[in-house]
Amino acid sequence: MKEQCVKTTNILEAVQVSKSYPGVQALDAVDFDLRYGEVQALVGQNGAGKSTFIEIIAGSIQPDSGNIFLDGQEYTHFDPSTSIELGIQTVHQENQLVEELSVAENIYLYDLPKTRFGFVKLATCIDTADRLLVELGIDIKSGKKLNDLTPVQKKLISVAKAFSHRAKILILDEPTAALDRHGKNVLFDIVRKYTEKGLSVIYISHHIGEIFEICDRVTIFKDGKKINTHTVNETDMNTIVREMIGKKSASIFSRSAVQAAGLEGNILEMIDYSRQGAVDHVSFTVQKGEIFGIGGLVGSGRTELARMMFGLDERDSGRLMYCGRDITPTSPNDAIRKGIGLLTEDRKDDGLIIIRPVFENISMVRFAKSQGAFMNLSKERDETGDISKALNVKTPSISQMVINLSGGNQQKVVLAKWLFAESEILIFDEPTVGIDVGSKTEIYGLMDDLAKEGKIIIMISSDNPELISVCDRVGIMRFGKLVTVLKGDQITEENMLKYSLGVGEKVSEED
Amino acid sequence: MKINIRSREGQKRRLTQSTMLIMLIVMLALVATIVNPKFLRIVNIINIFQQISVLGIVACGVGMLLVSGQIDISVGPQVSLMGIILAMIIQKIGGLPADSPHAWLAPFAIPMAIVVSFVVGFLLGLINGITVIKSRVTSFIITLGFGSVYKGAALLISGGASYMLFGRFELLGRGRILNFIPIAILFFIGVVIVTHIVLKFLRYGRFLYAIGGNRKAAYVSGINTDRITLTAYVIVGLLDALAALILISRVGSALAVTGDSYSLDSLASVIVGGVAITGGKGNALSFFLGVVLIGLLDNALIIMNVNPYMRDVVIGIIIIAAVTISNYTGERS
Repeated sequence: MKEQCVKTTNILEAVQVSKSYPGVQALDAVDFDLRYGEVQALVGQNGAGKSTFIEIIAGSIQPDSGNIFLDGQEYTHFDPSTSIELGIQTVHQENQLVEELSVAENIYLYDLPKTRFGFVKLATCIDTADRLLVELGIDIKSGKKLNDLTPVQKKLISVAKAFSHRAKILILDEPTAALDRHGKNVLFDIVRKYTEKGLSVIYISHHIGEIFEICDRVTIFKDGKKINTHTVNETDMNTIVREMIGKKSASIFSRSAVQAAGLEGNILEMIDYSRQGAVDHVSFTVQKGEIFGIGGLVGSGRTELARMMFGLDERDSGRLMYCGRDITPTSPNDAIRKGIGLLTEDRKDDGLIIIRPVFENISMVRFAKSQGAFMNLSKERDETGDISKALNVKTPSISQMVINLSGGNQQKVVLAKWLFAESEILIFDEPTVGIDVGSKTEIYGLMDDLAKEGKIIIMISSDNPELISVCDRVGIMRFGKLVTVLKGDQITEENMLKYSLGVGEKVSEED
Repeated sequence: MKINIRSREGQKRRLTQSTMLIMLIVMLALVATIVNPKFLRIVNIINIFQQISVLGIVACGVGMLLVSGQIDISVGPQVSLMGIILAMIIQKIGGLPADSPHAWLAPFAIPMAIVVSFVVGFLLGLINGITVIKSRVTSFIITLGFGSVYKGAALLISGGASYMLFGRFELLGRGRILNFIPIAILFFIGVVIVTHIVLKFLRYGRFLYAIGGNRKAAYVSGINTDRITLTAYVIVGLLDALAALILISRVGSALAVTGDSYSLDSLASVIVGGVAITGGKGNALSFFLGVVLIGLLDNALIIMNVNPYMRDVVIGIIIIAAVTISNYTGERS
């Protein structure tokens, strides 16, 4: 009875919390409440505002406006140490542990027991940590070095670390992504045991199924707004998915009529691409003139697949056939000679040389492909100038350093580079991330034109509406597998999300 | 609009980088002339250029390597090692002036010394390059280690002794065309021109900039980054061999430490010249101006009667000042 009573009062209340970044309203007047002893799921698509929200709660981001109440007290000091002081603990998606230290030292990293002279009392530390781990039901000896643990064990240690302080609110960000079935059970047992004692949990997960296993309520975010909060017993997966998608967004780009028929037969076949732990036996075909989309959640193996296709990363198996010829590349250089181009996910990391001029960036791949010691500089200037004009790269001169261009124009330079090298097969990995709307439309238009010219285009994107408006067919990846290929009317946000999340599949798919 | 403004600033800055250096050189020359009017005499100017020829040749290699984002601080010991080897060959095979132990071999001594120098230079470059590529350790540490190895090897081979050439091999370092222009200067200017051609007009040079600017992007763009890097180290080794030949010929004898100072001096020259230590920037003109500035400074200090031991202090300060100034003006980052 007492427990029931506790579960109806709020430990945390957020009222009209807003946060904006240049060009993005990350959170828009969000109301949120968390009760004593409850597990509340927080779901939404990429960019819905979940991360911003939990970072505000954890004190690492200042909201622009709104109030946050903890135990009825207004919460005003937003910094991580205050929030830990107040009993808010976050288990981040990425481990924030020190590999070189022992498990015990990791757990008590911020308040290690010390002797009078400032030396660490390691034995005491290990003792306390061992007791904590036993209490949590985690079967790991805390004297071990973190290096020696498996990824699953490391995740559980991150969870244990959150319990080293007195925690009232526990934020779990995608905790099961790194856990196997056993690890998941351990985690869920911990959550159940401590919520009974009054701990409140905010649970973020892309696995909709888990919400029904462990959560009391579920809150749906979309585009920085809170859409709804349901009691889990009174809702179902389809409702949640529908609310995550929200209203049908207007088509952001409409493609010209589907490609000419004469190009059939000229196909790219990807056969059985695999790499342990990243990509799981993926096969598909793309026709000339077609734009083939690859959707799925971040981390589902899409980028890995693209890099393997381009010969950039190792693969265990897989062949690439083009018009009946085996063109499986062994290195980027080989891929380029065989007509493949890759617009990488992170332009600045491995797409562009930002401290060199535009024209050098554009001609780079062609020179890498060509023979002969000397470059024809005047021809290079003329031709790179032409192509940068054709793609409408906005730069005062082609001698401008790429670093001075806007994101959209930088992306056009990357595209120009591959077109200048006469690539036949173009892989676009997240081509419109961090690009303004105008340039986005231009890039879609260019992709459309290239498809019409008979190029083979593969587009990886986390932006589902973008895939819907640009692609002829869309494959969805999940846990390294290509789970389905959608075409025509099947390409809807609802379908894409369902396949990405594994909703409606057999439960055994979870592992 | 914003882009436009930035571009003008960028170009203005690049101009100032070279002009600033030229201004500095002129100023230094002016001060030196005021203190000692002999400074501006043509004989002294030619003398300065002859002095810096060896440094200039080494610096061109180091500069190209730095453009590609790598460093080689073993160049000094490389020059020393090759210098001692070639001096020993000339002395042992050519013999002492009084008695020649292998009279029939003596005429081959110099050609042999030249060939061996280049072979050793090639090998040292290859060793440095392969180790840097395979170990995936920063080139600074690798070449620091090899620098020590080469220095030790030079000491071991020579036993710490000095080897005289007895005037046998003077043409390269002391010879003058028309009794006026030292041959060494021609080699120096030649190497600068070739460096310019490589960096500006060759695919290879373009790849050096690409790798130095962003190694990952260069690799994704199909550039064989390892091969380009390895070649750059070999070029450094070969230029060091040429430098050793000219140096030993000019000095007329070799010690195990004769060339050691070139590690610091060559790096100082290209950095003062405006080459980014992070790679992707710099050109032959900047190497040249950097070398001239350092050479001028050396000469000016002597001519102004400054304590010669001050030299290293001044050079050190200049390196720090050059890097700091350009860091603040944003030219390097």
